[in-house]
Amino acid sequence: MVQIDRLCKSYGSFHALDGLNLSIEKGELFGFVGPNGAGKTTTMRIISGLLRADSGTVMVDGVDARRDTRRVKEKIGYMPDFFGVYDNLKALEYMEFFASIYGIEGREARRLCLELMDLVNLGDKADAYVDGLSRGMKQRLCLARSLVHNPELLILDEPASGLDPRARFEMKGILRNLSEMGKTIIVSSHILPELAEMCTTIGIIEHGKMVVSGTVDSIMAGVNRQNPLIIRVVGELDTAVRLLKESPLVANLSMAEQELYVSLQSSTASAFSGGIQTENLLQEEEEEAALLTALIQGGVRISSYTREKGNLESVFMQITEEQEAEE
Amino acid sequence: MKQLHINPVYKKELKTSVRSMKIALTLLAYNGLLALIGLVSFYGLFESARYSGMDHSMLLMIYAILVIMEFGLILFVIPAYTSSAISGERERQTLEILLTTSMKPSQIIRGKLFSSISTVLLLVFSSLPVLSLVFSIGGVSLGDLMKYVVLVLVTAVYAGSFGLLFSVIFKKTTVSTVFTYGILVVLGIGTVALLLVIYLLMDQYYTAQSIHGGQYQNPDLGYGVCLLLFNPGVSIGALLFGQFGSMGEFGEVIHALGTVPEFLTKHWFVISLIVQAVTAALLLTLAATLLNPLKRNEGKRAGKKEKRKIGG
Repeated sequence: MVQIDRLCKSYGSFHALDGLNLSIEKGELFGFVGPNGAGKTTTMRIISGLLRADSGTVMVDGVDARRDTRRVKEKIGYMPDFFGVYDNLKALEYMEFFASIYGIEGREARRLCLELMDLVNLGDKADAYVDGLSRGMKQRLCLARSLVHNPELLILDEPASGLDPRARFEMKGILRNLSEMGKTIIVSSHILPELAEMCTTIGIIEHGKMVVSGTVDSIMAGVNRQNPLIIRVVGELDTAVRLLKESPLVANLSMAEQELYVSLQSSTASAFSGGIQTENLLQEEEEEAALLTALIQGGVRISSYTREKGNLESVFMQITEEQEAEE
Repeated sequence: MKQLHINPVYKKELKTSVRSMKIALTLLAYNGLLALIGLVSFYGLFESARYSGMDHSMLLMIYAILVIMEFGLILFVIPAYTSSAISGERERQTLEILLTTSMKPSQIIRGKLFSSISTVLLLVFSSLPVLSLVFSIGGVSLGDLMKYVVLVLVTAVYAGSFGLLFSVIFKKTTVSTVFTYGILVVLGIGTVALLLVIYLLMDQYYTAQSIHGGQYQNPDLGYGVCLLLFNPGVSIGALLFGQFGSMGEFGEVIHALGTVPEFLTKHWFVISLIVQAVTAALLLTLAATLLNPLKRNEGKRAGKKEKRKIGG
């Protein structure tokens, strides 16, 4: 649905996007995560036709966003991070205004707008003035507005920012519904766990580059593999330490009481710069199994053989810190 | 049956403006002022007629006063409506959403312009009863009044196009409003002042030459007087001189400043309307081009703002 190739955008000496590559399939609920200033909004604004890229291409459903902006705009529903509403306009009239932009008028427009307002749980607010609605309601109204022309792609820039927990929960539910309806959705946030709960795929952006992308599970697995193996040994540690030191698979070894912390050569070599590779994961699993077999065959009694697990926050921190360190 | 597709921005602007106090207060102030001037003028006219008989030239004078007052009020009102048209959307943070729809920037500009003109039309039509008082005694025809309405419409588009352009260029409504009023002052007073200054300098130069033995010649700005074609004040002057049967005197004033073909002074009113309409069309095209985010030159200022704004 969306193909971004080597996208660059600079503001003076500041490189907001530095050769960004991204691919989003039809029907995906894609979470675009990154710290403030990473390039999320710039990317979304370029896709939406609000900003011109310095170089690179953006294709939306096979249409070049730079050459045929109008056609791309018809395929996109965009919700910015900050937006205002009109004074003296009722919620239904607000919706009908945007419907009329797409040539939907009269009864058809009214029926469609009421349906969309129901979809975002605002069916009872049709006659309420827009400027009198709460922040959460305005966000949902803006989402309904972005759906008025039945776009295939929804671009939502931090749709849950500034919302209370209940409104966030409602917003997530609506997005899941839309995803089930077959819409392709790009939703940005700087909070990874918030997106991980609902998104089918995640892309983490840092300094204008895509650091990693894939499903939440694959990203978690990739990061967890970088954590050391924890081997708990029953009895003497000497044999286990000797075997591990002799093994070519082991990169680092440390110990605390009966536990040995082992980093594998393959895990330390696989950084996130290239993204998560399935072949790498399989190879690492093979090496873990080989190491365990060698220890058991060497007479070491093992009570547990596990890997330290990270949470989503630590994953995000780890990935973005790695990028900072590389630069 | 296919529905009539009205510019959505125009429709929305009409809906929101009639619900605001702004339009009601404008109507009240505008018609109140005109009615007051009309009342005072007619009272003075009829009072003097009791003692010295009806002076029909006074009647035309009242018409001229009313028309000039109304024209001035419109020039005062138009920038207030147009200079906030786009910058107001930007300040309310509604412009970005509009620009991501399939609506062309030119359609947005047109919608905004039409809504401003509708306001002006509302003001003009609501004031017609006051203006039509001059019919009660004669002296002014319906055709004269229609010509005046055409002038008001063209001037509304002309002044409005400056307001819209500045509201696209400047992010703040206050700056845009100041510039719009500023350009109208420049057009209304500045053009006349500039030509007079040049005229006087030329006169001084020729006088100095004649003192040193040269021959004095009358200053002649030539086609420089065409600058006045951009001045709406001169246009209404041409209209009133024409309606009072004094077009010759108007021509003499123009010819005194610069030698131009007779055709120009004779048809000054129509030509000035054409010049102003063409200028307005160019300004509106420029405004639409600048409103297009992909055509607008991303300056350093925009970059700084973006850097601050980008949440990613």
